[in-house]
This record gives sequence, C-alpha cells and structure tokens, in this order.
Amino acid sequence: MTTTTTTAPAPTPVTAPPGASWAAVSALARFETRKLLTRVPVVVAFAVYVAWTVWRTRVSFDGFPALQDADRATQDAPLLVGLAVLLSANHAMLRSRRHDTERHLDVLVLPRWGRTVAHLLSVVAAALLVAVCVGGQFAWEALKPGAVGHGSPGELLVGPLSVLLLGGFGVLLARLVTAPFAAPLLIVLLLFLATFLGFSDDGWTRWLMPSVGTYSVVTLPSDLIGRPAAWHALYLGGLALTLMTAAVLLSGGARLRTAQAAVACAVALTLAGAVGQSRGVPESVTEARVRASVTPEKVHTCVERDATTYCAFPEWTPRTGDWARTVDDVRALAGGDAQDRPLVVRQRVEARYGLDADATLPPLTRPGEVTVGTAWGGNRVPEFAVAVAGALVTGSEATAGGMCDGRMVTVMWLALADRPDPVADLRRVRIDDSDTGSAIVVSRTEPLQMTSAQTELLRELLELPRDEAAAKVKAGWAELTAPKVTTDRVARVLGLEKPEGENECL
Amino acid sequence: MPVTATRTAGNTPAREARRGVLLQLVRPVARTVPWWALAAGGGLGLLAAALPRLSGGEVTPWAGVNALRAAALCFALGAAFLLDDPARQTTAAVPVRRVLRHALRCALVLPAAAVWWSAAVLLVPEEARPPAGDVTVEAATALALALAGAAFAVRRRGAGRPGQAVAASLLVAAVLAPLLTPSEWSLFTVPGDPRWADAHGHWTLLLCAALLAVAVCCVEPVRRRTLRTLRSPSRS
Repeated sequence: MTTTTTTAPAPTPVTAPPGASWAAVSALARFETRKLLTRVPVVVAFAVYVAWTVWRTRVSFDGFPALQDADRATQDAPLLVGLAVLLSANHAMLRSRRHDTERHLDVLVLPRWGRTVAHLLSVVAAALLVAVCVGGQFAWEALKPGAVGHGSPGELLVGPLSVLLLGGFGVLLARLVTAPFAAPLLIVLLLFLATFLGFSDDGWTRWLMPSVGTYSVVTLPSDLIGRPAAWHALYLGGLALTLMTAAVLLSGGARLRTAQAAVACAVALTLAGAVGQSRGVPESVTEARVRASVTPEKVHTCVERDATTYCAFPEWTPRTGDWARTVDDVRALAGGDAQDRPLVVRQRVEARYGLDADATLPPLTRPGEVTVGTAWGGNRVPEFAVAVAGALVTGSEATAGGMCDGRMVTVMWLALADRPDPVADLRRVRIDDSDTGSAIVVSRTEPLQMTSAQTELLRELLELPRDEAAAKVKAGWAELTAPKVTTDRVARVLGLEKPEGENECL
Repeated sequence: MPVTATRTAGNTPAREARRGVLLQLVRPVARTVPWWALAAGGGLGLLAAALPRLSGGEVTPWAGVNALRAAALCFALGAAFLLDDPARQTTAAVPVRRVLRHALRCALVLPAAAVWWSAAVLLVPEEARPPAGDVTVEAATALALALAGAAFAVRRRGAGRPGQAVAASLLVAAVLAPLLTPSEWSLFTVPGDPRWADAHGHWTLLLCAALLAVAVCCVEPVRRRTLRTLRSPSRS
C-alpha cells in the first residue's frame, strides 16, 4: 500500500508536457483574443464596420436584393477590420520585445512557436467574429421580402478570409521585422500601391487582391456571373494559411513535422487557387450569357396573370407579383381595349459583357411586349410603369421610344397617376430630376422625351382629382392615343388650358 | 558657485541653470530620438511622392495631391515614434520640465522635416503639384496629430514607448477620415475643386486644434488624475 502512494505522483510530470503545452496555448490564446478584441483600433474598426453595414443594409438594393449581388456587398468593409487586426496583432506580437520580457518567457512551459500559435488563434477569433457579421448581413438581405437569387459561399468567405490573411500577415511581419514602425508604414505602402496599381490592372493579376470589385452595376442571373469565387476563396485561405504556418516556422517550429507538412499543404492550396481563379470565364458560361442575352425566351419561365404573361429568368419568378401590381395599376387607368389587351412582360438583361461593362438594351419591336430589368424597387418601379404605359398607348415598346407627340402626356399620366407621390416619381424617372421644362425620361431600353408643354399639361392633369382625370382620359381615349395627336389637341380633349411652354422635341 | 556669480547679467540663477542643462541635454536627447523610424517614414514618404513620376505617363492633379498625402502620412507615422523613450521613468527626475524636453526633441527633428517635405513636394511633377502652402497645412496637421497622440499617451499613461499604438490609431483614423467626413465639411478635396479653399480652412482649424492639444499634453501633470479604483494592481 505504501508503494502505491509513493509511485502515484511520479508519472504525472513525465506524461504531462505535451498536453499541458496545448492547455497553455489555449489559455494564452484566450488571453490574446481578449486583448486583441479590446484594442482601440480593433474596437473602432468593428464599431465603424457594424454601424456602416447596418446603415447601408437598411436601404440597400432598394429593398429588392438579388442575393448573387448581396454576397459581393459583404466583401469590402471587413478589410477595415483586417487592417486594424493586422496592426494590433503585430503590436501584440512585439509586446514581449517592447517590455523586454522575451527572456522571461523563454523559461516558461510554452515554446516560442507555441506563443505564435496563440497569437494566430486570436486572429482566427477575430476572423470568426467577422464571419458572424458577414453571415448576419447576408441573412438580413436574404430575409427581405423582395429577395431573389442565390448567394455564393465563395463570395461570402472573402470577408472573413481577408481578415485572417491580414492578421496572419501582421503576426508573420512581427517575426520578420522587429522594428515597431514596420507594420504601419507597410500598410500605407500597400494601400498606396493598391490605389495606384490595383485599379488599373486587368486580367488575372486583379484576382490576387483580397477583394475584387466589378466594373458594372448590372444584376445577372447567378449562373451567368462567371466569377471564380470558390477558387478565389481557396486562394485566400491558402495564402492566409501559408503566412500563418510561415510565422510558426520562423518562431522555432522549423523542426516540427506537422508545421512543415502544413506549410507544404498551404502553398499547394494557394497555388491551386491562384491557377484556378486565373482561367477566366468558362466556355459554358459564355454560351449561357449569349443565350440569355439574345434568346432569353429559351430560358424563361412564363406565368400568366389576367391578360398579361410574365416571362422571367427562373430565379425571378417570385417577383412576378410585384410586376403584376404595377401593370394592373396602369391598366386600370387605361381606356378602350387597353384594359384587357394581351401584354407580355419579358425580363431581359445584357449579359454578354458579364460584370465588366454596362450596355443598353434595344427596345422590343413585337407589339404588346414590354421589357423589365433584373433590378427592382426605387426608380425601377416608375420606369417600368412608363414602359408599360408606352406599350399600351402606342402598341409596342419600339414605337413608344420614337414617339414625339401629345400621346406622351397620356403615357406619363397612366404611369404616374396611381403612384403614391406622382410628382416625386416624375422627378425620379426624368434624367435631370426636374419637374418642369423639357427632359429625357429614362427607361430600360430607349429613353423617351418630354417637351415643356407636355410637362406643363401633365402637371395640370395630375393636380386634378384622380377619378375626374381618369374619367376624362377614358372618355377621350381614342383621340388621346391617336398617332401624331398634338399636345394642344390633347389639352382640348381633356378640357385643360392650352400649355404655353415649348413643344419641340430635341 | 559660478552660477551665482552671473546674477548681474539679468538672468535668474534658475533660468541660467536651466539653459545650461538644456544645452547639456541636446546630445543625449539627439541620441535617443528614434532616427530609424523617422528615416523609414521619410524614405517611404519620398517613394510615395515619387511614384506618380516613376510610373510614367501623364500625372493627374488627383494623383499628385494623393501622393503627397500618402507621403505626409508616412512621415507622420514615423514621427508618432518621436517621443518613444525607454528610459523615460529614469529621466523624469532631471531638472528640466517635460515640455522643454519634448520641445527639444521636436526642434531637433523639425529642420529635417522641412527639408524632407520640400523634397517630397518637388518630386511631384510641376503640372500635377497642388498649391504648396495648402498641402503643407495638410502635412503639418498630420504631423501635429501624430505628436499630439504621442504626447497624450505619455501624459495620460506615462508610456515609455507609445509610438506603435499611436501610429496604429493614426493610421486607422487616416483610413476612416475620407470615408466618414461629412460631405458638407469637406477635407479631402482635389485641386480645382470649388471646395478646395473651404477644405483648407477646415485643415487650418484642425492644425490649430492639434497644436493646442500638443501644447496641453506636453505639460507634465502636477497630479496624476487617475481613478485609483480603475487602476490595475500591477500598475499601482
């Protein structure tokens, strides 16, 4: 019995070191995480990031996000947090040197590489926090009632991985250069080079940056985007791992088999990602883009509601209800056979240039067809209403584009009269945001023109009670929609004063 | 003592003694100025100022003014380390007030800074060079903010080497400022912009505020105003 009591404590110090060292790493990692997340630059960066994101997401995409755009919108703001994490992780790594406690730490249970791992784990914690923020931002967009489309996990990973990359770089930098002024100065250099060289670059080198923007604001169906998002996430993750494992190697972990294998794996991942993302747009996507731009009817899903057929890309079919409300509002005000004449609302997008350039769409020439774009909400709603009214009054979208007569008054009144604030919407559809004088009316396809006299007459008509105006329009429908009707004639038919403004198209 | 013998010259003995100590301080202070940080900041700043010229092609006024802003920021980041003094606790007992010691450090650096800034401005091609006076106000503001941050850290926390923390804060502020400046209170304008003059009124205001902060923070507090309950046991 006495032998058991004396031998029992003996094995503990022999078997303890490997386990105890990991416990020490995790304890130090918890401490460093708390320190890192409460440093002033990190707190300020997180506060600004969260406030900015909440402020912007409240009104982003006019409440009708396409999730294949919303995922890219999560990428830029985390770079700010990454910058603060880089500085602070570097600062924390140099703490023992600054206070000259390196010698004291050397006698502790934790080897130097173990302390580096603890710092890297604190960076991982910051990246996870950013991942939570990115997830929250995307979930908010996805839960908006008007959301359509599909997000890409690769695009969503870019924000957290950028933070991991920058933080890992901060840790590695402290192992490479012990001067405390290296990190801030290097960041200025990086920002400056990114400003001067990053934007001018085209092609595969563009994808070496953490966050890669687009040159166009068009919303494409998610299968036509053609961005190597998954490869880019792999590249970023591999690069972050490479920097982090390199920091461990430089901290005296060079003899660890695991560290050597990890560096090799990380470099392989980075190279695979870099090669994968540099191959450009796949052939199949290019073909699909041409098909969607030239013959969209082949990929459309059509839904019939009342007399109107809505043909949209499959991801947009949930939006049919929003379009139908606008079409029904316009039809309800129209007279003659326009209330139940068959109409086809066709969704179109110019996808051949991908996300590199914006292009205008030619108007549809077939009678009774109207174009609707891929974006919705905000100014897109009155623009679509104008297009529908144009097709109802003139017969087709192409003739509405070239129209230069009194019918413009009827078109604009049909489009705007049922809107909550018609005059505000009039300003929103006119290119110069004016509500008097002549102006161009923006549209998804060919822009329309309003003369001063037509604007004056429209404003007079909008000031009348809606039902009275509707009765006048319905009564004079045949004359109001006759080709080449003059603005003065329209004024007489509607029983309004003859407008005094200019009546010449540009 | 020889100090008492010079009383007839109109100077009090104390002032005379202070001047003597100050002169004796020049060499040791010059040795503790972090010249490497200033040289690194200055060197990188010159590179930033020269980049538009080196990159070839036509240099726009936008590129010119932003190159100079980057240069000024680099130098300010280097200058954030100016008040770093690992031996601060041991030199606190010298018979010269902190404001004079800090002023001495700044005085040693300012001529070099002036020469450096002239070189940086001259490196930008003439057709893209913004009005020198206005852009100098911007650079001086950055420098004054860096010094104010360092002086504040020394005054509040008695920090030995506040440089890195101050540089990090200054850099985060520099990144955030163009994003968060309200449009009606313009700061970062381009030459030719109608708001250029307004913006430089704002820069002058900021410069005055930063200089005032430097002046206030350089003075040694008579009494440490820290809440005893909030201080960690290790510091007390």
